Amino acid sequence: MPPKAVHSTSASPANAFTSLWRAYNDNTSNRLKFIDAFLFFLMLSGIVQFAYCVLVSNFPYNAFLAGFASTVGQFVLAASLRSQVNPDNKDEFKDVSPERAFADFALGSIVLHFFVYNFLG
Amino acid sequence: MLALVPVILLALSAQASVLKVQNPRYTVTGASGTDVQAESVSLAQKPSTPIALHGKETLKVTFQIVDEETGKGVQPHQTFLRFYDENSNEEGIQPVRVTPGGKAKFELNLAKPPLSLPPTPQRDPLKVTLLVGSPQYDPLAVELFDLVLPASQPAPQHPQESTFHPLPEIKHTFRPEPKQPPAFISAASVGFVLAPWVVLLGLWSQVAPRPSRLFSPTILPFILSLGAFEALLFRYWVGLKLGQVLLYGAVLAVPTVFAGKQALSSIAERRLGRK
Repeated sequence: MPPKAVHSTSASPANAFTSLWRAYNDNTSNRLKFIDAFLFFLMLSGIVQFAYCVLVSNFPYNAFLAGFASTVGQFVLAASLRSQVNPDNKDEFKDVSPERAFADFALGSIVLHFFVYNFLG
Repeated sequence: MLALVPVILLALSAQASVLKVQNPRYTVTGASGTDVQAESVSLAQKPSTPIALHGKETLKVTFQIVDEETGKGVQPHQTFLRFYDENSNEEGIQPVRVTPGGKAKFELNLAKPPLSLPPTPQRDPLKVTLLVGSPQYDPLAVELFDLVLPASQPAPQHPQESTFHPLPEIKHTFRPEPKQPPAFISAASVGFVLAPWVVLLGLWSQVAPRPSRLFSPTILPFILSLGAFEALLFRYWVGLKLGQVLLYGAVLAVPTVFAGKQALSSIAERRLGRK
């Protein structure tokens, strides 16, 4: 989603970030924030798993692959769900109702989880 | 009965034809032409001491091949002298020229040795055998004597000789078994990996939309069937086989599709009606 117009004339970067954050908080619906929280969680989870693999050990390598792939794949699915249900993108996805987007998300997730469990070993 | 007569005659004649070697003699001649040694060879008993050739001496062997019955000289089709080294299993075969009268003379000149002599690097004695073959006679093999030749170069190695040996045993090397990190680090890492869940639940508690109709009869089946799918996949991890999962998944897909269609269309109706 493109950032909303920021009502700020200040040039200081800290100020820009706070106004961006405030604009996001004010102008984003709770449903989208719900998805955004999920996306943030997936990102954090993937980063932590990757850091563990690099810094400590990749010992159950298939488990790492499964975990990391599940976060990445779920992130992609959730991001596409978010862009399709966003009311601001209505013109781009004329044929895709939010319900259809959620059905796609559910189907994609089931397929993804099938492969992930396959890898988990 | 009459037809059998020529066959019997032929058999008799074939049995009667035996060749014989007469007056075998050998002579060893020095390089200057003087005879060093000259003796007749006894066919009944092989001489116990081998004949030794030195330097550039020449060995001459003479004999006559006769029909044992008639005593007449015979020119066989094939006459050979075979030089055989029992230790190295090498052999060399020299043809011998026989006159129509059955007389034969063989000369081995060490100044010009024939190519087919077996190599004698150890000066092992060579067994010299006379081989005679002719269609009307029984084949004949006579051991004449043993012959010691001057030491020669060893036999050249065959270019592919190295390929006729067993190869060294194949040894597999394996990667070392991967080690599990220490328990403390593992436990701490588990904490790190689970930490995003706290973040997620914290954020969701702030922004989660209130599920207004989650337990309504149109939507609940869909939620339950999605949960059943996840449970099935979890069971797959724990112990199910791939075929079972595909079977159960295919069965489960049918009610899920219907429940999903109903649930999502009811939601869409609600959404469009509200607008």
